[in-house]
Amino acid sequence: MMKLKHLLLGAAASAIACSNAFAANGSDDPIKIAINEWTGQHISAHIAGQLLQKAGFNVEYVTAGAVPQFAAIAQGNLHFQPEVWDNNVGDIYPKAVESGEIVKVGSLGLEPREGWMYPAYMAEQCPGLPAWTALVECVQVFAAPDTFPKGRLITYPADWGTRSKDLVEASGLPLQPIAGGSEGAMIAELKAAYAAKQPALMMFWAPHWLHAELEMAWVDMPPADPNCATDPAPGFYPDKVNDCGFEQASIGKIVWKDFGEKWPGALKLIEGLTIDNDTQNALMLEVDNNKRDLEEVITEWVNANEATWQPWVAAAQ
Amino acid sequence: MPRDADSLSRFLWPVLIGLLLLAQFAGSPGDWFIAWPTEWVLPFTSSLNTAMDWFVETAGWFFRGLSDILAVPVSAVQKFLHWLPWPVVVAVTAVLSWAASGWRLALFSTLALLYMVVVGYWPESMNSLSLVIISVPLAIAIGFAFGVWGFRSERAAGVIQPMLDMLQTIPAFAYLLPILLLFGFGPVVGLIASLLYAFPPMVRNTMLGLRSVPTDIVESGLMSGATPRQLFWQVRIPAASRQLLLGANQSTMAAVSMVIIASIIGGTADIGWEVLSRIRKAQFGESILAGIVIALLAMVIDRITYGFAGREADDGERSASPWSRHRYLWIGLVAALVTFLLSTVIPALREWPREWEIYPAEAMNSWLEGFILTWSEFIGTLKTIAFYYLMLPVRVGLVDTITPFSWGFEFTPAMRWGYGAAVLALSAWTWWRGRFHLAMTIMFLGILLYFGLTKLSWLVLVLMAGALGYQLGGRRLAVGTLAALGFLVLAGIWPQAMLSVYLCGIAVLISFLVGGCIGVIASEVGVVSRVVRPVNDTLQTMPLFVILIPFVMIFKIGEFSALLAIVAYAIVPAIRYTEHGLRNLPNDVIEAATCMGCTRWQLLTQVKLPLAMPVIMLGLNQTIMYAIAMLVIAALVGTNGLGQQVYIGLGDGDFGIGIVAGIGMAIIAMVADRFTQGWSAARQAAYS
Repeated sequence: MMKLKHLLLGAAASAIACSNAFAANGSDDPIKIAINEWTGQHISAHIAGQLLQKAGFNVEYVTAGAVPQFAAIAQGNLHFQPEVWDNNVGDIYPKAVESGEIVKVGSLGLEPREGWMYPAYMAEQCPGLPAWTALVECVQVFAAPDTFPKGRLITYPADWGTRSKDLVEASGLPLQPIAGGSEGAMIAELKAAYAAKQPALMMFWAPHWLHAELEMAWVDMPPADPNCATDPAPGFYPDKVNDCGFEQASIGKIVWKDFGEKWPGALKLIEGLTIDNDTQNALMLEVDNNKRDLEEVITEWVNANEATWQPWVAAAQ
Repeated sequence: MPRDADSLSRFLWPVLIGLLLLAQFAGSPGDWFIAWPTEWVLPFTSSLNTAMDWFVETAGWFFRGLSDILAVPVSAVQKFLHWLPWPVVVAVTAVLSWAASGWRLALFSTLALLYMVVVGYWPESMNSLSLVIISVPLAIAIGFAFGVWGFRSERAAGVIQPMLDMLQTIPAFAYLLPILLLFGFGPVVGLIASLLYAFPPMVRNTMLGLRSVPTDIVESGLMSGATPRQLFWQVRIPAASRQLLLGANQSTMAAVSMVIIASIIGGTADIGWEVLSRIRKAQFGESILAGIVIALLAMVIDRITYGFAGREADDGERSASPWSRHRYLWIGLVAALVTFLLSTVIPALREWPREWEIYPAEAMNSWLEGFILTWSEFIGTLKTIAFYYLMLPVRVGLVDTITPFSWGFEFTPAMRWGYGAAVLALSAWTWWRGRFHLAMTIMFLGILLYFGLTKLSWLVLVLMAGALGYQLGGRRLAVGTLAALGFLVLAGIWPQAMLSVYLCGIAVLISFLVGGCIGVIASEVGVVSRVVRPVNDTLQTMPLFVILIPFVMIFKIGEFSALLAIVAYAIVPAIRYTEHGLRNLPNDVIEAATCMGCTRWQLLTQVKLPLAMPVIMLGLNQTIMYAIAMLVIAALVGTNGLGQQVYIGLGDGDFGIGIVAGIGMAIIAMVADRFTQGWSAARQAAYS
C-alpha cells in the first residue's frame, strides 16, 4: 500500500513540475522533433531542427515509429513532425487531428507521387511502356511462376491499405497483386531484380532515396477523378467504375496542440518552412549514395542557402 | 491404451473421415460448414476496442504516472552509460566475465565490446543496455513474487499458469499497441514490453525450484526450530538457488530479445532501431553488422549470468580474508579507475574517432549481389519446384494446382479416380497390417492434399481436433481444444489461422526432418557438432528480422521466403534436442548393446533413437513453438496469415484486430503444445 501511495504522489509531483515549466519561460525546453525510419524525413527534420536552433530554440531528435509518433505528439511527448504523409496513417492520426490534439501547420511543399513503377531497362523488353496498355500487351514479361498467367504486381504491405488490389479488381487488368510485406522487403526485391535485370512492377512512391540509386520509371495511369466511383467514363476502361489512377497524397507539418502557446516564435518559423523535391533528392543522394554524415550535409545546405531560410528565421524573432 | 478407448477410436475416426469427405463433396465454398459466414462473426474486435478506449480514459492517468516514474531511472542509467568512457565499460565487463567463469569469457567479452566500438555502434548499444539493466531486475523481482505466490497457493498457480502461457505465446507485436496507448510514448514502452515477456521464465523456475526442494531438507529445518520465515528464506530459497538462478538467466535473455522488438515503437535511439531502419532500407550488410551487435550483447550477458548461476551454486566454502572475498570487486574498481584516468588523457579512449571505424557493409552487399547474379536461375527453379509440388498442393489442393502450366498436364477425371483409389488402397493396406492410426492419417492427408487445407470444412476439422485432444489428453484437453478453436471460428479468423497453420506446418515438417538428420549426424561426428553449435547460437540470438533480408533478395517477396525464414529459426531446437537426446543416454545401455555385437547403424536405429525419443519429441514441441513465434516476423516478407493481421492492427492503430490475431496465434501454439506433450507422454507410457 505504501508503495502505491508513493507512486501516486510521484505522478502528481511530475504533473505539477510539467505545468510549472510551462508557465515560466518555456522556450528553453527542447522542442522534440520526431525522427522516422527513412532518409527523406531525416533531412526535413534536421533542416527544421538546425533552423530552429539558429532562431535560438533548443531541439532534441527522438526516434519514433510512424504510428506511435501520433500518440506521442497527441500526448505532448513529441512536439513536431515536419513530414507527415496523409495516406497510410491509420486511425490514430485523423482522430487526433479531429479532437484537436494534433495541429496541422500547412504543407511542407514536397510533391509526392505514388503509382506503379518499373526499372527503366524494362522499356527494352516491353516497348509499349510507359503507357498502361503495355501492361496488357506485355503481360507475359511481367508474369512469374506464382502468378501465371497474370503479371506480378508488388503492392504496398497489407497494413498500408489495399488501393492497388482494389484497382486491379475494379479494372480487370491482367495483374496479380502480391502484398509487399514491408518497405525493406519491397526494396530488397527491387534491388535484387535490378541487379539481375529481371522484370519488376511495383507500387511505390516518390520522393524516396531509391530513385537516386536505381533508375525507375512510372506507368502512365489515367488521372484520379472525383466521379470515378459512379461514372464509368474516366479511368482505364470506359465501361468500368473505380478504375482511375491514384489520388495523390499531401505532405504536411504537424505540431502538438500547445506548441503555439509554448513556443510562439518556433511556430512562426515552422509555418514558413518549405522544402521541395529537388532539394530533398539532392540531399538524399549525398547521404544515401555518397554515404556522408547527415548532420554535415544539412549544415552545408543551411550555410549555402541563407537567402532561402532567412525570412523563416526572421519570422521567429 | 485401454481396450474401450481403442474401440472408440476405431469407430470415431472412420466416421470423422467419412464426414469430411461428405462435407467436401456435398458442400460448396459458400456453405456455412465450409466457410463461417461473415454475418455470423462475433464483434470481438470492436468491443475490445471500445473496452480499451474506456480503460485508457478511466485508468490512463495511473499508467502515465507509472510511466513518468519508470522513465527516471531509465534515462539516468542511459546518461550514466553515455558519460562513461567506453574503455571503463569494457574493463568492468571483462572483470565481471572473469569473475563469472574465467579468462576465456573475459577475452570473449572484451572482443565483443570492442567490436561494438570499432563498428561505431557504441552509443546505440549503450541505449539498449540501459533498458536491459532496468528491466531485468524488475522482471526477476516480479517473477520471483509471482513464483512464490504460485508455490504457496494451488489456486493461484491455476491462474498463473495459463497467464504465463498467454504472455509467452501472444506475439509481442500484438501487445505493443495497448502498452503504447496506456503508458504513452517513450522508452518505457520498450521496458514494459520486455518486462511482460521476461518475467514468465522466472515464475516458472521459481515455482519449479521451490517445489523440488527435497522434503528431508525442509524437515531438518523444521527440527532445528526454524520459524516459517526462516524456513522460507534460509532453507527453501538456498536449496532452490540453482533453479532460481537459471530462471534469472532465462529472464535476462528474454528481456534482451524483447528490447529489440520493442524498438519498433521508437523513443530510444537503440541498436534495435538501427537494425529496423537498415532493414527498411534493405541494406543487407549494414543490418547484419548491427544485428551482430545484438547477438554479441545477448551472448555476453547470457554467459556472464549463466557463469554466476553455476558458480553461486557450487561455492560451498567462503574464504575469510576480505581481499580474497572481494578480490574481483577490487580488481574491477582499479581497472575502472585506471581506464577512466587514461581516457581523460587519450581522446580516442573517450570517443572512438569516426575515421577509425571499420564498416565492411559495402563489401558484404556486393558479395550478396554477386551471389544472386550467379545463382538466380538455380534459385528460380528450386523455388518453382517447392511452390508447385509442395506449397500449393497443401494450400489449395491438387484440384487447383495441377494445370498444364504448372505440372505440364491436365488433372483429368480418370486421374482423380486413380488418386482416390491409390489413397484408399494404401490406407486399407496399412490398416490390414494393423497400423490403424497410420491408416487414418494417410486417409486424412490424402483428402487434405486433394482439396487443400484452406478449403477444408472448419466444422469437421474442429471436431477432428477435439477427438484427437480426447485421445491425447482426455476430456479436459478435448473441451479446451474445442473451445479454443471455436474462438477462432467465431472471431472470424479461421481462414487466416489456416493460412498460418499451412505455412507453419510445412516449416515444422522441413525443420524437424532436416534438423533431426543434422542432429543425428552431429551426435555421431564430433566435427559436425562443433561446426553446428556456433551457427545455432547465432541463429538463435540474431534478431529475427535480420535473417529476412537475404532471403527476400534471393527468393523474392512471398510465402517461399517466409517459409525459409521460419525454417532457419525453427530448425535450431530440432538439431539441439536431437543431438542432446542422443548424446545423453545411459552409458550401460550403450555398452550392453555394443557387447551384444550391434553395428553402429543398429545401435543408432534400434537402441539410441528409441531411447532418445522423449527428448526428440520435446524438440518437436519446441520446433513448433519457434515456428509460430517466427510467423509474425515472416509476415514482413508478405504472407497472409495471422501474422499479417497483427501488423494491420499495429499499422492502423487498431487494438482489437491485433490482439484477436495475437490470441489466435497463442491458441494454435497452445493446442500444438498440449498435443505434442500428450503424444510424447502416451509414447513414453507405451515404451515403459
